[in-house]
Amino acid sequence: MPRYGMVIDLDRCMGCRACMEACKVENNTPEGAFWMHVFRFEEGEYPDTKVGFLPRPCQHCDNAPCVKVCPVQARHMQEDGVVLTDFKRCIGCRYCIIACPYGVNHFNWQPPEDAYYLDWDDADVEKVTGGAVPPYLNPDLGKPHGDRGTLVAGGGHYEGVTEKCTFCVQRLEKGLLPACAANCPVSVFSFGDLDDPESAPSQALRSKQAFRLKEELNTEPKVYYIGQPPPASDVRPIEIVSSTGGE
Amino acid sequence: MVTRVASRKPFAAYGFRIWIGLLALLVAQGLAGFARQQISGHHVTGLTDTTPWGLYIIGFVFFVGASAGSTIIGLMVHAFGRKDYERLATRAILVGFLSLAAAVTFIAADVGRTERMFLLPWYWHNPTSMFFYTSITYYMFAAILLAELYYTVRLTRGSTDARDRSMAKWLAILAVPFALGVVHAPHGALFAVVKARGFWNNPLLPPHFAVVALVSGTALMVLVTVATSWLKKSDLVGKSTLAHMGALLAFFIALAGFFDFFDWLVFAYSDKAEGVIAWDILFGSNVMLSVVHVAGYFAAFVFLLYVLMRRREWLVPALAAASVVTLVAVAAYRYNLVTVGQAVPLLPFIPRSHYSPSWTEISIAVAIVALIALSYSILTRLLPMEDAPPRSEERAVASGGLAPAGGTS
Repeated sequence: MPRYGMVIDLDRCMGCRACMEACKVENNTPEGAFWMHVFRFEEGEYPDTKVGFLPRPCQHCDNAPCVKVCPVQARHMQEDGVVLTDFKRCIGCRYCIIACPYGVNHFNWQPPEDAYYLDWDDADVEKVTGGAVPPYLNPDLGKPHGDRGTLVAGGGHYEGVTEKCTFCVQRLEKGLLPACAANCPVSVFSFGDLDDPESAPSQALRSKQAFRLKEELNTEPKVYYIGQPPPASDVRPIEIVSSTGGE
Repeated sequence: MVTRVASRKPFAAYGFRIWIGLLALLVAQGLAGFARQQISGHHVTGLTDTTPWGLYIIGFVFFVGASAGSTIIGLMVHAFGRKDYERLATRAILVGFLSLAAAVTFIAADVGRTERMFLLPWYWHNPTSMFFYTSITYYMFAAILLAELYYTVRLTRGSTDARDRSMAKWLAILAVPFALGVVHAPHGALFAVVKARGFWNNPLLPPHFAVVALVSGTALMVLVTVATSWLKKSDLVGKSTLAHMGALLAFFIALAGFFDFFDWLVFAYSDKAEGVIAWDILFGSNVMLSVVHVAGYFAAFVFLLYVLMRRREWLVPALAAASVVTLVAVAAYRYNLVTVGQAVPLLPFIPRSHYSPSWTEISIAVAIVALIALSYSILTRLLPMEDAPPRSEERAVASGGLAPAGGTS
């Protein structure tokens, strides 16, 4: 059984946020919800300042605090190491949001029909998009996936439950890469089996010094960063992250 | 001779009907708010992904604390032999049970899927979750309180059965350690185990929670006692018993102040970003709440000591004022605890979040408090609350209880 993980090369990232867009299209996340978020920040003192980028998907921790605190085991880790939410079980207590040190969770604050950008069933939806981008409702999301064979892929984005990055579980089952990794124009993301020494992430980890976010908390994230040192504690955010996790 | 307090027409008084009507209106407006929240989703609250816990969780921890603290009255009667507290026993159990019900109602308003909440812990469970653990304790604590209420009511109705007395005694004695150690301290652990939040991740938080429970529970019982005596125009307990309650309240406030002082001292010396930011919030955007918390404790403590030592003639209004100020201070402490813990950014490139409760949250919170007050008002009319006029202080002392704090009834 593989142990899926991701290595993110910060040397390569140019902050284009194609990964955020790919995630949104693949997972049909509602307005304000970003399962993948690329933070843009400034560090250093003038004139020696520089802009940094840090893509942040769910860290899929081996010792995941969200899994420990979930009172109903809706948040669970699969055998392949992917941390998922069982949307038919989540009671919406938001303890996982509180417990996550990385702020990756999104609570569906309103009914999905109010939160989606488009009404998928509207006959005029193509007119709204000008026909340039055909409206796309991913049919895989509403199907059962994962070890439990239940709704874990975000289909419907049910109101009153918490959701987050799934490493695109619906794509993994087809042998595809997560949407962010598949669509990055400069190959920032290396995704694969961390236990396989020949996998892309294992090779990437051998190539450069790596760090993980908040390692001192012993959450054992399966997302590694290479190419840059960890952001200092006094970096300045360039954009204000809105209350719902977007901008 | 046993006096049945509940009259044949318990709801006849005009003022009482107005009071019930007012509470019913407050409950109705809250129900409208709850319906709006259920239909439109939780985005009608002031909660966000960066501050996912707000007024409902503050209300929840406040009332769980009050529920645990109110069991102290039963302990006075049965463990310390303070028979002068006996007339408060049923009322205290009722306050404890209704406070617990208020806490659970706040949780029901908070969760996104209220209909699934009651499957916990019976159908779904996670033994590593403090939330799962505390959900078990509600049912157990409610069962203890209801059993205690049953036996206490039987005694109040004149039962001379030794088994009734024995059960009431042992349930009352069990209720205190259970309430503090099994119910309320783990609610502190609910926050303390979250290692992502440096403001909460502190082993002293669970005992701190238990002490604040004693403060709020005692203050609530003092307020209930004084208010009931005023409404009934007759003393529920003697002056020396009131003085003893005041002394207890002052002692618990001092204990809570001790915890607060060392909590804040450690924060003041913290060089970690989380500690510095938390300190900055406590004395920046949340400074008014910090002042209400600290000055409230201090004012209530000093005023109680002054009145107990120098001005016994002020005792009743002083207790009423001190208990209200204490409850407000505890609410401010709970508010700061819940919100500051979330306001500290999780990552350096995320700005601080700010939380203000929405009108929907406020209306639902007011309705929950009104619902509990409504239930209390009706149940105290239906259940026998007192079995005799205040007992003499001499009898309390002769029965082996603690020496009264002074004064006469």
